[in-house]
Amino acid sequence: MTPDLDQLLPDTDPRKERRKQRARAGAFITAVAMAALVIFQPGWTWVPSAGVIAISVISVIAGRGGLPGGRAIGRGKGSGHGKGSGLSALGLDGGDGPAGAAAHRWHLLVMASRLMPRSAGGRWLAEAESLLSEITAARRDAAIRSYLLSAPRLVVMTWAHEVLRRARLGPRRPG
Amino acid sequence: MALRLTVQVQLILQALLRDPAKEMYGLELSEETGLQPGTAYPILLRLEREGWMASRWEDIDPRAEKRPARRYYRLTAGGAAQASAALAGARRPKGTALRRLAEGGGTA
Repeated sequence: MTPDLDQLLPDTDPRKERRKQRARAGAFITAVAMAALVIFQPGWTWVPSAGVIAISVISVIAGRGGLPGGRAIGRGKGSGHGKGSGLSALGLDGGDGPAGAAAHRWHLLVMASRLMPRSAGGRWLAEAESLLSEITAARRDAAIRSYLLSAPRLVVMTWAHEVLRRARLGPRRPG
Repeated sequence: MALRLTVQVQLILQALLRDPAKEMYGLELSEETGLQPGTAYPILLRLEREGWMASRWEDIDPRAEKRPARRYYRLTAGGAAQASAALAGARRPKGTALRRLAEGGGTA
């Protein structure tokens, strides 16, 4: 089996570096904003603080999207896929044209899957990986784009289903 | 919740109804209908949740086969009957709509 594209890329991938910088800047802005809020607006601290925390959590998740050691998601149950980012399965490590752009889109797919409930996101990604591995490089780009375009609708759909499912199950009892 | 019979849904149901006992995987369905896989997936998921379809992961060794497992879909017995009835009552997609789908891969 060929190694993953992630392993072949040098550590100084500019995209990863930019993400790291953004994550660091986000963390710094968050810290300063929170300190300023606590000092100047004690009565209303919780409102903007909640917003700032939410934004920083999103930035961190986005920043981790392409970093090594990020949560491995998308290994759908039963998909039986090997270890890796899915790029080798897509044939992007086989001298297949501009792998950088395709790898970037794949990372966007991974990030979109993280916005869905865990099982639904995993299945979606595993199925996308399975399908993309079987189509020609010429058609792959349009296919990935179609997955990305349908992602927002799927996020809403899968969460709606998850909420209904949990409501049917009822509240969890402790112990 | 009632299933909305869009042109894309009709195309998928027609493809599956050609041989209701046959299992089809995403790429096969995509090629059969002319829809982009990203367009077909939410429809398949909705049909499955409505109970019209069932799906399973292919049981293979991905290393031996040198490809990931496929997800196979098939109409359930009830789903086949409901799909036939729904398609019989549905308006046939116009030629222009089908042409647009073929040109755009169903992403519209």
